[in-house]
Amino acid sequence: MRDLYQRLGLPNDANDKDIQRAIEACHHNALKADARIVLGDPERREEYDALHGTLRDIGLLRARLGLTHGPFWQDNTANDFSLPPDNTGARHDLLIARVERAVGLHNGWRKWRAPWLLAALLIGATVLGAAAGAALYHYWLV
Amino acid sequence: MPSGRFNPFETLLLTSRSQADTAGLLLLAWVMACRGPLNEAQRRHLTELASECRHGHDLEPIFALADRQDFDAIQLAAEVMQKDRGGEQAYPFLRQAIAVSVVDGEPSISQHHVLRFLADLLGVIPSLFATLYAEQAGRPYAVPEDPSRRDYWLAKEHQRQQEEARQHEQDERRREQEARERQEQELRRQRERREQEARERERQRQENARQERAHRERAQQERARQDQAREERARQERQRQEKARQERSNAGQNQRWQQAPPNDARAHRALAVLGLPPGASRGEIRKAYRRMAQTHHPDRFFAEGEARMATASQRFQRIKNAYEYLMRAS
Repeated sequence: MRDLYQRLGLPNDANDKDIQRAIEACHHNALKADARIVLGDPERREEYDALHGTLRDIGLLRARLGLTHGPFWQDNTANDFSLPPDNTGARHDLLIARVERAVGLHNGWRKWRAPWLLAALLIGATVLGAAAGAALYHYWLV
Repeated sequence: MPSGRFNPFETLLLTSRSQADTAGLLLLAWVMACRGPLNEAQRRHLTELASECRHGHDLEPIFALADRQDFDAIQLAAEVMQKDRGGEQAYPFLRQAIAVSVVDGEPSISQHHVLRFLADLLGVIPSLFATLYAEQAGRPYAVPEDPSRRDYWLAKEHQRQQEEARQHEQDERRREQEARERQEQELRRQRERREQEARERERQRQENARQERAHRERAQQERARQDQAREERARQERQRQEKARQERSNAGQNQRWQQAPPNDARAHRALAVLGLPPGASRGEIRKAYRRMAQTHHPDRFFAEGEARMATASQRFQRIKNAYEYLMRAS
């Protein structure tokens, strides 16, 4: 399938007036006729747009997964919907990185949760409590 | 540095008993959702499939993701599948995907492209995929159509029109049949009514006839009595006339007897010309004449030469003379 929007130089959400103008300005007669039939009718355009969306998704997926030259990705469809390979957007890597970070935090907490830390916390709480008690007592009496 | 929370599908994957199975379920749901939001039957179908694999969680989040066509989740699932299920391990999953897409008839074009993507993803070459498709769907694999071309829409329009025409024809036929049935009923009712009327009339007629007969019998008795009286009177009268006639001459009677035979012979001949037995009525004579005049009219033999036309003309003249004589005589 061809990407008619791309071939007419239009954004995917172009309005009807822009589409008509682009079709009139087009010099390729076959493309002109096809675009008039497909994009001129709202129902047909809706159906075309649904498929167009799916194919764009697939094009992006293929770019990110390194499948831009698969045997099933050929002719017009591949020409119009392929994107340059993109190795930065691997979701699995992202997931692994998040899991690593979470594991690091967890382990760090585990490492610091030693007996002496508990004792220190206990002493600190006692000191704070005593100070607060002294202050209340002072105010009560005076 | 990655930040933020784990998204729902990541959480699902991390807690799943088999990441590949969970990812596979999401991709199957995606294939289904390419036709539109998942319906009840599709959900049940997916639940059945899930019971056979080691997903081990509720499927609601997966349905929600597929309905939303959540791109990140799908990408992650595809990556997991690509890593864990390459080559021959992919066949069962691809079979399931094909079965899911052909369950409602021919796969939609989106589903076609998604299936092709999955085949590429799992490293299944086209010939092998076509074999799998044929085994699973029971028909050969066809390349998806192209809605960016005019032909696709024209063919679709044509198909729709044919469908409509067929529908219209069916309606028409049904209406016709109904009309015919109604007409038949009407006819039957009319016939019944007519029969009833006929029976009524028959009875009336019988009644009349009986009255008539009674009346006639009475009249006959009356007449018989009158006739007896008249006969008596007539006999006396005749006896008187007989006497008077005997007294008159009897030459006139003889003359009439001599004239009759030649007339009779000529009439016989004329009837024979018309092909009739002696004693035919005027109507029969007229009918026979018309028929003979038609078959022997000289104009019919115009094409067969002068000689034939001449003989026909003679025959016709004879027939005409015979007819005219008979008409004059009787």
